Amino acid sequence: MKNNILIIGGGPAGLEASAQLQRMGYNVILIEKSPRLGGHLAKWDRLFPDGVPADDVLGGLIKELNGVKYFTDTDIRAINRLEKSYNVRLTNGITVLSDAVLVASGFDLFDAVRKEEYGYGIYDRVITNADLEAWFKTGSDKRIDNPRKIGFVHCVGSRDEKSGCRSCSKVCCATAVKQAIEVKQAFPEAEVFCFYMDLRLFGRHYEDLYLKAQKEYGIRFIRGRVAEVSENIDGTLVVKAEDTVASKPLKATLDLLVLMSGMRPSASGKAVGDLLEMTVEEDGYFAVRSGIAAGQRSPLPGLFLAGAATGPKTLPETLADARAAAVEIDRYLTEIFPDARNYKQLVRERW
Amino acid sequence: MTPLNLILAAQAADPEVIDRIPSGYSHFVIPFTIGMTFMLCWIGVGCVRLLAAIPRADRLKFWKSLFIPKTVVRNLKDLFGDCLLHVKIWQRKPLLGYMHSAIAFGWFMLIVLGHIEVALFVPARLNVARGGLFYPIFYRYFVWMNPGHTTLRGSFFFFLMDFFLLYVLTGIAMAVFKRFRSIVLGMRHTTKPSLADRVALYSLWLIFPLRLLAESFTADLSGGSFLTVGVNHFWHFLFGDKLWFTPCWWAYSICLGLFFAAMPFSRYMHILTEVLWILLRNAGIKPSHPRKGVAEAEIYACSSCGLCLDACPMNVQKKNLKYSSVYFIRFLRRHNEKKINAIADKCLMCDKCHALCPVCVDAPALRRAQRATGNNALPYNYSYLETGVSGADVPSKGSERGGVLYFAGCMTHLTPRIIKAVDKVFKAAGIEYSFADRDGGVCCGRPLMLAGRLEAAAKVIEANKKMIEESGCETLVLSCPICYKVFKEEYGLRGIKVIHYTQFINDLIASGKLKVEKTGERIVYHDPCELGRGCGVYIEPRAALGQAGNLVKARKEYDESVCCGGSLGSLTLDTRDRAKIAESSLDNLLANDPDTIVTACPLCLKTFSEAVSNSGRPPGGVAVKDFAEVIAG
Amino acid sequence: MVDFGFGLVPSSRINLDLFDKEKYEELAAMEPDVRVCMACGSCTAVCTAGRLVQTSLREAIEDLKNARPEKALEMLGACQLCGKCSMVCPRGINTRHLILSITKVYSAG
Repeated sequence: MKNNILIIGGGPAGLEASAQLQRMGYNVILIEKSPRLGGHLAKWDRLFPDGVPADDVLGGLIKELNGVKYFTDTDIRAINRLEKSYNVRLTNGITVLSDAVLVASGFDLFDAVRKEEYGYGIYDRVITNADLEAWFKTGSDKRIDNPRKIGFVHCVGSRDEKSGCRSCSKVCCATAVKQAIEVKQAFPEAEVFCFYMDLRLFGRHYEDLYLKAQKEYGIRFIRGRVAEVSENIDGTLVVKAEDTVASKPLKATLDLLVLMSGMRPSASGKAVGDLLEMTVEEDGYFAVRSGIAAGQRSPLPGLFLAGAATGPKTLPETLADARAAAVEIDRYLTEIFPDARNYKQLVRERW
Repeated sequence: MTPLNLILAAQAADPEVIDRIPSGYSHFVIPFTIGMTFMLCWIGVGCVRLLAAIPRADRLKFWKSLFIPKTVVRNLKDLFGDCLLHVKIWQRKPLLGYMHSAIAFGWFMLIVLGHIEVALFVPARLNVARGGLFYPIFYRYFVWMNPGHTTLRGSFFFFLMDFFLLYVLTGIAMAVFKRFRSIVLGMRHTTKPSLADRVALYSLWLIFPLRLLAESFTADLSGGSFLTVGVNHFWHFLFGDKLWFTPCWWAYSICLGLFFAAMPFSRYMHILTEVLWILLRNAGIKPSHPRKGVAEAEIYACSSCGLCLDACPMNVQKKNLKYSSVYFIRFLRRHNEKKINAIADKCLMCDKCHALCPVCVDAPALRRAQRATGNNALPYNYSYLETGVSGADVPSKGSERGGVLYFAGCMTHLTPRIIKAVDKVFKAAGIEYSFADRDGGVCCGRPLMLAGRLEAAAKVIEANKKMIEESGCETLVLSCPICYKVFKEEYGLRGIKVIHYTQFINDLIASGKLKVEKTGERIVYHDPCELGRGCGVYIEPRAALGQAGNLVKARKEYDESVCCGGSLGSLTLDTRDRAKIAESSLDNLLANDPDTIVTACPLCLKTFSEAVSNSGRPPGGVAVKDFAEVIAG
Repeated sequence: MVDFGFGLVPSSRINLDLFDKEKYEELAAMEPDVRVCMACGSCTAVCTAGRLVQTSLREAIEDLKNARPEKALEMLGACQLCGKCSMVCPRGINTRHLILSITKVYSAG
């Protein structure tokens, strides 16, 4: 018997898990609310630490899908939890009876407008990491006009209780270093500053990237959080921070300021979570059965999680998480699900 | 004249009322007389002490104020309006207003009419030596109505007395009901009474029913009107001719005695202290100490009614009830230093309790005075201000007289959209202006004052004042209400018009200098505390916004508006508690489903923006904008 | 070795042995937020007084922890309590109360 598996979210986690489960012989249905697959990856240009084109990675993931039924522009209208399965009505009119559901709803980028003091949406020359990435991809953005001095602000909407975002978004430090290098490649004459609270370059080769930024590109790293931005009459920006290493307040006039928007729990993911009555932790991300031993199992039997739906993750972490979720789903569908008589007991013991 | 002679003389003239007991005394008056005497002594000593604690100059001002015709008129109006009729409660909560005025005004009339009766029918008894203290109170016990000689005048007074007794009784009935179901009368939270409060409260509840009982039993002898005589007939119907009036008069007297004896230790002290506080308040005397002098009058004028409990924005969380003004004042009364400090520091200083207080007790001012006792003497070093501080764009001495100077203030630099929008509006109206603190300035001093650091505040005020006066500007425009309040009240900038940007921009629109395009946007305006209750600016921002969109109402607005929770007033409220307050304030604003929340304070703006995005409301919901942003279009 | 009780040159090194734990705990009881600073420098960056004079709440907190309360007090003497720092602190520290509390605890005796 081929079990139906519904996968919610067509980003890297959803794509990877779909491909793996399809290969295991399950009947996978993948839904994505936006018009195209790929999630945030589809909007990115190149990836840290090696500068691999995002399109190549995404293309590889999609190629592996072979045969997975997927629906774009599709959301969930209603979910009924039956005794063991889920009866899911989609917005495209299709109803799926699914034996396992994987929520891979990913993340939203923090809305930088919310950090009012940085003036995103108010000052012309303040952009976000996503805007810059789009510019790398398309080359068109009026706000970027041969800047001579460029600043990167780390931790915008991360590690910030004021915005209700306590957690570290994990990827922004490396992204900032990567983007600083790229922008320096684009404008070799420019001076580039990174304002950070703590540099968290934990992954393999990340430190190499940091070293390269210092050594080859002369990027300045300033340990201090930008806390105020004002605008001169000519449109240039004055940023204020403290150089906490020098113990001195600092100001700098910049032509371009890039805000490293952090990861936030996905709003549409939350809507799905509400339908499924899933528990959300204080940080807004979905709760898992056990952070260490069962990071892909939700507290509800038959309901799985992968990727940034359970907290900020880098791309390789997300892909690994998706594969782990596929293995967990397979284990559930072969060991617990088929045993109609002892289902409840097995769930108690082994979920 | 001997009492016997008096009776004989009275009978000879066939009077309407005859002194039934020649001595004019009965033992049952003892409890009342003791309680009353004790209370009067207490009050007398208290008044002398209180007035002695007021600084000499203030005391002089007080005595003088009693003879200034304008103040006298105001005093009479306030005494009648605030103490007896409780106009302020009527306006907000009619049922509560009725309840309170029924007890206060009704009782007052009973006392006054009782004395008039005595004066009319047995005038000699007004003499204190002849029982003047208690006789008018127990008038009906002591007199005998001469049958067949009742005049219209006598019946009229009988009627009035019965009428006011009934009036008071309805008030008492409501008060008893309120103790159990306060919400019906419009109060969500009520105060917890202390022991003395309880003794006084239960006595007060009993006084008037017992009075009715006593007077109705006695009505055979003393006469009465519709109520007492009616009830008297009922007793005869029930008990035949056996009536127990002596025990009732005893019980009535005991309750009165208990009430007056407990009064100085209970909330009911306000009945008399209110009078003194109103006189002091109208004389314009401000407290300089959180407990002594004027403050003491304020503290004892508090009736513990608890209207401030529902007013306080912190009380969205029940755990914060204990920080309300009513408890602050109660602990001031009890000299509980530890609790006083904790409560004083917690307050947001939104001033709503003061605005809604039936007797205008300025609890926030007392809290500031309390903060000053701990904070004013703390060390500071502002020597860096003495070298003189210049504003970024401020023209040098006198170079440009008569211009407009804009002072954004510290907080506004964290909300650049206000600065941008103000600039846009000024440009559209063709206003040339200088930006005093483009590159940052010196704080206005209000936050220091709110923290009780008055001496330090004076220093920063001095520095700013110098900078502004030297600029030679004619108009100083402020967009931050915190700055506006202090610039207006404490700076004493001579020859310079200090104006809030909502007023300034409204003037620009009214004079036709600025054209505003009206959209269909549904706008709700939030009154910032310092601007609304603090400076009384309610109309201008609404007038201007009405030109730009459709104003909708919040559930509570004007002086009842709910603080956003971001106020600098509180020293100890933490982020979580503030977020809870912001959420409830937001809820209040969203009552009529607006598209946009508009405010005119950088702190409110930031607080509401954060509250909207942190509340998990769907994106694309309500927008939060600054006043100038809406005007700029 | 003979201890003369004084050194020829005052040490510029932070000496954690001199840390007054009792006082620090007294402060932390009054304003627990003192513990949560992550030294990002936002407070210093926006400081109204900081434009005119060297002052930094971040540094003052470090000074307290590094047994130099007199330096902290000197630094905070310039504060105008305007509250800008409380608006930008990513840890939501109640900066104004912290400053008042530091002044209260360390300037007494």
